[in-house]
Amino acid sequence: MSDSANTFNAHLLSILEIMAREGVKNAARGLSGMTGEQVAVEEPEAALVSFSELPNLVGGPEQEVVGIYLLIEGEMSGQIMLILPIDQALELTDLVLDRPIGTAKALSSMERSALAEVGNLTCSFFLNSISALTGLSARPSPPAVMIDMAGAILDIVVITAGGVGDHIIVLRASFTKGDREVQSQFWVIPESSVLTAIARRGWAPDGKTK
Amino acid sequence: MEKPNDDSTIAVGLGEIRICSDPSKVLVAYGLGSCIGLGAYDSYRRIAGLLHAVLPISNGSEGSTLGRYVNTGIPALIAQMEDAGASRNHTTFRMVGGANIITSPGFEELLNIGDRNINIARKVLAELDVEILAEDVGGNAGRTVHLYIRDGKMTVRTLGQGEKEL
Repeated sequence: MSDSANTFNAHLLSILEIMAREGVKNAARGLSGMTGEQVAVEEPEAALVSFSELPNLVGGPEQEVVGIYLLIEGEMSGQIMLILPIDQALELTDLVLDRPIGTAKALSSMERSALAEVGNLTCSFFLNSISALTGLSARPSPPAVMIDMAGAILDIVVITAGGVGDHIIVLRASFTKGDREVQSQFWVIPESSVLTAIARRGWAPDGKTK
Repeated sequence: MEKPNDDSTIAVGLGEIRICSDPSKVLVAYGLGSCIGLGAYDSYRRIAGLLHAVLPISNGSEGSTLGRYVNTGIPALIAQMEDAGASRNHTTFRMVGGANIITSPGFEELLNIGDRNINIARKVLAELDVEILAEDVGGNAGRTVHLYIRDGKMTVRTLGQGEKEL
């Protein structure tokens, strides 16, 4: 990659991190309200990741995970994927359904609906915040809940990115609950056309264009 | 079932083609969802090749991205096998993957990607006059495939269903 491309990417990644900061905090607030537990979130991190490295961000391609997947429609189009280890997904459904932890043993349709609601809520909170900040429209699609090997679930992200280039920009944040890291990752994958527009516009953190 | 150790495995990532003739090695494609894993094995010279293709059709793919698409990846796999000394007469092909992981409404573009990958693979292989010896394709679950160079054994692992030989 050329130096100018690297400079461009570094600039873009830092803009994205600033843009997403309030959004992920807002998503964590939504999740706290829904689960009745104090859920916090780490500072989001944007990175340029090669397709083959993607599964390593979630413990390897054979790791059994739950993916809650939504498309972002509107001016800020892209993809959102919430990725959780299976035991944490089950615990999350118990919190949402207000049952004792350990009740959920498998993901039946009720647990899946609960996780879909988690996806709806966190994404709406995130996107509302991003829209307010940037003025770009963004609506989440209905969510899909999947349980499988990480590699299989992440194929979907790569396919939707269209197999264009070898790398995609992934914005990641991890949720934490009390002292415990929930190991739930919130991924945002903006469409490349959106990235170009953001970079061109010279979007500044105060929401005004430069 | 025997587990290959980490030193012996050669991971074949998204969009990659790997050819190997070292009998101590195992080619592995982990967590294939809608992707296709096509294994080629020359039992006479003990040369193995594994393709991990992501999308059905490329429009003018070149060089290192050939393996990303089913329609360009299959001829590239065959060519690389032959470059490594494999003969078509002794080479068998087995196909794994092409699952439809996402089954919710609202994702029409993605719903049939696994099926499209399988269909294109069958079409391209038929055009090249290549028979598929065995396959484990379709369904809704991800798969990990191992191809042992020593004897050409190919295994498929699915979550909750264990590992089986193909």
